Amino acid sequence: MLSIKVLGPGCANCRKLEEIVHEAVAATGVQAEVVKVTDMGEIVAYDVLKTPGLVINEKLVSSGRIPTAATIAEWIRAA
Amino acid sequence: MDAPLLTWPMALLYGGLGNLAAYLAAHVLLCLLPAFFIAGAMSALIPKETITRFLGRNSSKTVSYPAAAAAGSLLAVCSCTIVPLFAGIYKKGAGLGPAITFLFFAPAANILALVYTGGIIGPDLAIARFLLSLTFGIGIGLIMALLFRADDAAHDLATDTAFGAQGAGMGRMALVFLFVWVALLLAGTLKLDVLTGTYLNFDLAVGDAQGWQAALDRLVPYDAARGEEGVSVQGVVLIALLAAIGHAAWRGFENISEGANAWTWISLGLIAATLLVAALSVQPVAGGLRIGLTGKFFAVAAALAVLGHIVRHRLSEDELRDWLWESWRFVKQIFPLLVVGVFIVGMIRVIIRPEWIELLAGTNSLTGNLAGVVFGVFMYFPTLVEVPIAKMFLELGMHRGPLLAYLMSDPELSLQSILIISAIIGRKKTFTYVGLVALFSAAAGLIYGAWIDGAALFSLALYLAGFIAVLAVLLSIASRRSAASSLKEV
Repeated sequence: MLSIKVLGPGCANCRKLEEIVHEAVAATGVQAEVVKVTDMGEIVAYDVLKTPGLVINEKLVSSGRIPTAATIAEWIRAA
Repeated sequence: MDAPLLTWPMALLYGGLGNLAAYLAAHVLLCLLPAFFIAGAMSALIPKETITRFLGRNSSKTVSYPAAAAAGSLLAVCSCTIVPLFAGIYKKGAGLGPAITFLFFAPAANILALVYTGGIIGPDLAIARFLLSLTFGIGIGLIMALLFRADDAAHDLATDTAFGAQGAGMGRMALVFLFVWVALLLAGTLKLDVLTGTYLNFDLAVGDAQGWQAALDRLVPYDAARGEEGVSVQGVVLIALLAAIGHAAWRGFENISEGANAWTWISLGLIAATLLVAALSVQPVAGGLRIGLTGKFFAVAAALAVLGHIVRHRLSEDELRDWLWESWRFVKQIFPLLVVGVFIVGMIRVIIRPEWIELLAGTNSLTGNLAGVVFGVFMYFPTLVEVPIAKMFLELGMHRGPLLAYLMSDPELSLQSILIISAIIGRKKTFTYVGLVALFSAAAGLIYGAWIDGAALFSLALYLAGFIAVLAVLLSIASRRSAASSLKEV
C-alpha cells in the first residue's frame, strides 16, 4: 500500500494536483492511500516552500508545480 | 438619454457598466495582459532556490532582508505562495525579521501590483510605492526582530535544510524570455514620443466610423472633467477580442496540464493580435477609420516575434506548460475580482461628491493621511482592486500624499493577511505589526505628499527626523516593557 500526500492549504493548484494524483493512481492500478495535508506546520516539515507539494512514501517528489499525470504515474511505479 | 429620466438604481448600474466598458477598452490590455504573463513566467520559470538560498540562517542581515523583499516581489503574487513561504522563512529561515519583510513586500510591491499602479495611476506613484515599500518592509522587519528578539532565539534550534539547497540556477533562456516580456510591457505603457508618435497612416473604408463614435459617446456618456472616459471604436474591437480570448483560453489553457492543444495556439494568437490592435492609433475620419502605425506598434510587434520564437523553439514542453498554467491561474484568480471591483467603483463614483474627498484628503494634511490609512485598513479589497479605487479617489480630488498612504496600507492590512500572520506568529506580534504598518503608511503619505507639494529637502529631512524620533520613543517604551515582562517570566 502506497502512501501519497498532497501538501497544500487548499488553493486552486492543490485541488488540481489532488485530482491529477487520483487520475494517476487509477491509471497505474496501484493500491494507494491519498491524503490531503493542509496543516502549515506539517507542510513546512517536508521542506516545501511553495505549494502544492507531492509526497510519495514520505519522500518529497515535487513542489511548486503541477506535474502531469504521466509523470506522477512513473513516480508511483518507481516507488 | 436624459438624466432626470434615469431612476437612481439605473444611474448606479449605468455608472458601473460605463466604467467597466471604458476600463476594458482603454487600460487593461497593454498593461495587464503582459503583466499576467510576466507573473506567470516568474512563478513558473524562476526556481525558488535562486532566491531563498539567501534566506538561510547563515546569511547576514544585509543579504537576507533584501533577499526577502526580492522573494516577495518576484515569487509571491497569490496567497497560496505567500503562506508557505512566510511560514518557511519564519520557522526555518533567518527568523521573524525577514519573514515580516517578505510579508510586507509581497502584496505591496509584487510585480503585478507595481505594473498595474504604474499603468493606471502613473509611474511616479509606482516608483514611490516600490521604494517606500522596500524601505519600510526592511525597517518594519528589523524593528519586529528587535522587539521580539527573545522569542526569535528559540528558533535557532530549527534546522536550515529548506534554505540550504543549492538549486539549479535560472536558465538563460527563461531570463531572456522574461526580459522580452518586460520590454513589451514598457513599450506598451511608457508615454515617450518615440513610442506614441505615428509613422505610417492609412485609411480603412469601413463605413460611417464617425457616426459609430458618436453613437458610442451617446451610449457611454462621459465627462472628462470628472475623470470619466468614453469608449472608442478601437475599444469596441478590443472588447470583442477580449471576449474571443476568454472563449478560446477556457478551452486552451484550462487543461494545459495535459499538453497544448489547438485552442492554446488560437488563444496565444488572439492575445498577440489584441496587443497589436491596442498599440495602433485609430481615429474615425469621414468615410472610414484612419489607422496609424505607432512606434509602440512596431516595438510590440518586434517583442511578440521574439517571444513567439522562444515559445516555439526554446522553451521545453514542461516550461511552456507551467508558464501558461501559472499565467492562466492568475487571470482566473484576479481578473474576475478586477471586473467586479471596477464595476462597483463605477457605481460608487456616481454617489461620492468630489467635495467630500477634497474636504477630507484634498491636501497633504495629517488628518488626510490618517484618513487614507484608516480607509485602507478597514476596507478590504481583493488583490489589485485597490488600484482602480485609488484612481477614482485621485480623480475626485484626493491629494497624492494621502493616496499613497492608502495604497500602502490597503494591501498590507486585510482581514486575510491579519488572520494568516496571527495563526503563524501569534496575536501580540500581529498587533504590533499592524500598528507599525499604519504608522509607516501615514508617514509615507506625508513625506511623499510634501515632496509633491514642492517642499524643500530641508523640511523633508525634518519630517523624517521627527518620524524617526517618534519611532525611537515608541521602540524604547516597547522594549522596556518586553524586558520587564520577560523578567517577570523568569
